[in-house]
Amino acid sequence: MSNLLNDDVRRQVREAFEQLQEPVQILFFGSKEQCEYCDDTLKLVEEVAEISDKLSVRVFDVEADAAVAENYNVSLTPGLVIAAVGEDGPIDYGVRYAGIPSGHEFSSLIQDLLLVSGRDSGLNEQTRDFLANLKEPVHLQVFVTPT
Amino acid sequence: MLAHQMAMESEMVQAEMVEATEFPDLSNQYHIMGVPDTVINFGKSKMVGAVPEGQLLAEIMKVMA
Repeated sequence: MSNLLNDDVRRQVREAFEQLQEPVQILFFGSKEQCEYCDDTLKLVEEVAEISDKLSVRVFDVEADAAVAENYNVSLTPGLVIAAVGEDGPIDYGVRYAGIPSGHEFSSLIQDLLLVSGRDSGLNEQTRDFLANLKEPVHLQVFVTPT
Repeated sequence: MLAHQMAMESEMVQAEMVEATEFPDLSNQYHIMGVPDTVINFGKSKMVGAVPEGQLLAEIMKVMA
């Protein structure tokens, strides 16, 4: 099977990954049932993870690993959780993808890997203050298309 | 990206990028017509377009108030 990322993209990603700091783990959730983009998504994140030894991928199936999927609140496939790596396993910051991160979303994925790796949101003080005092959960879903 | 930055900042925030065309039922449920479209707390509010940090913050504040 041919590569999804061409040499040029791979080179650009490698350059961006020079900024990687702490290790990051991509948790991939697939499904055997009706998941048109699962194979490509897994291949994509594996190709990305190959570029840096600070990145790794763990593969789950929402049916076979139902408890894990529920624990991470993942139901849509392909699903990705971009997690930091702690001593006792992945540290989940709540960074998720539903669907293949291709096209525009590919650069978001790269930015997110850098974000989680740096472990700093980069947000302004006002936003940080508000979020620090949240008493109830906030759930955001950003609908996007690849093109 | 902004939504993910917020998730990164707070344990109370979960943020998901949803590829709209792959999940038509969900997109229909929230009446997604254009992208990006940010759905806050399962439809409590919705912001179409790429919104700046202050604006998304203000909207979340309103939803949480």
